Amino acid sequence: MTIATVTTDINIGPFRIPSNAQNMIMNNYAERNKLPVEIVIPEPIMSNQLATTKWLHTEFKFSKIILCSIHQLPKNLNKANEIINTFKDVEFHFAIEGIKGTGNKFIHECINESRVFENAQKIDSQEYDWVKLHKLLQSNA
Amino acid sequence: MKVFDELIRGKGYSIVDIENMDIFENLKNSFIEKMNIDKNEKNIDILRYKMTSMTKSEINKTMINLLSFSEASELMISSCKNIVKDLSGDELFIQRRAAIIFNLPGKDQRRQWPHYELMSGISPFTFVIWAPFHDLDDDGGVFYIEQPKSMEYIKQEHKDGLVNGPSILNIQTKEKPAKLKYGQAIIFNPFILHGNIGFASNLARIACSVRFQSSAKPLMQKNTDFLKYYKLN
Repeated sequence: MTIATVTTDINIGPFRIPSNAQNMIMNNYAERNKLPVEIVIPEPIMSNQLATTKWLHTEFKFSKIILCSIHQLPKNLNKANEIINTFKDVEFHFAIEGIKGTGNKFIHECINESRVFENAQKIDSQEYDWVKLHKLLQSNA
Repeated sequence: MKVFDELIRGKGYSIVDIENMDIFENLKNSFIEKMNIDKNEKNIDILRYKMTSMTKSEINKTMINLLSFSEASELMISSCKNIVKDLSGDELFIQRRAAIIFNLPGKDQRRQWPHYELMSGISPFTFVIWAPFHDLDDDGGVFYIEQPKSMEYIKQEHKDGLVNGPSILNIQTKEKPAKLKYGQAIIFNPFILHGNIGFASNLARIACSVRFQSSAKPLMQKNTDFLKYYKLN
């Protein structure tokens, strides 16, 4: 039974994290939680299907998979179900959110939460200053 | 709506009574259990006393360990459910991990220098709820600067191209820390300048804070790293 970390594209939902920083985040998480990582999987950029991880699972039978964020999970329902079926008993850890869990319910909750955040309105802080932000609160609260 | 008006158009903060003390008590007792000092000890003052002999690094380590106390955030919000609902509705983004903050008495202790919450990247629509786990009889609480004065400081620094610069950091305020009773909380908007001052006591100060906003309001720089979706029952 093996513990793996997985790096993906630099664009992770709202975050932009180069792969070496992804490794730093996951390794720090693993260390804090006393999880000895044995395999480091570089997924290709521009794909969130975790195809390499799925392929390697047949050989290594992962017990735990560490990712940086819930935003790295596939949003497509069919692809999400493939992940759930492939990794039925595997415990997923998301280092940035600091959450972990196993199975259908947990993964769907993570994907749904990622969607809620994806759909939320965003303020581009580069287009605002502190005074404008205060006005925004007072006029739109 | 009184609290809402006070937060948005008034002084920017409001002291409220915690609505459900059973939940808040549960939060406090769970915290004491997690501190693992004495399994049967439920008296917060004993813990406060023991904490005064901890080093700064031990305090810091303890605060980091408490980040795994993930239920704290929901317990804090649930203890003030209707107040939160009036301010932000029932579909929320709440802080994923509540902050449990210790302040030790005496000079040279770690303390939170003057700042406003927005500087961390939370949305301007976020409110902070802060509640001590005991009465605040000394100056171990937090001072708050009313919204018009806070905005004066912020605008002045903004003109100078600064954010939380020396004029804010060096604030010599006449404001005294709010002397809250156990069972009270303070809610404030993210533009309110606040901070700690050194204080004399035999006991440490322990408080819990959680940030929350309506999920219908826009986010700014904080995302799932800091917030989680939460629906009030």
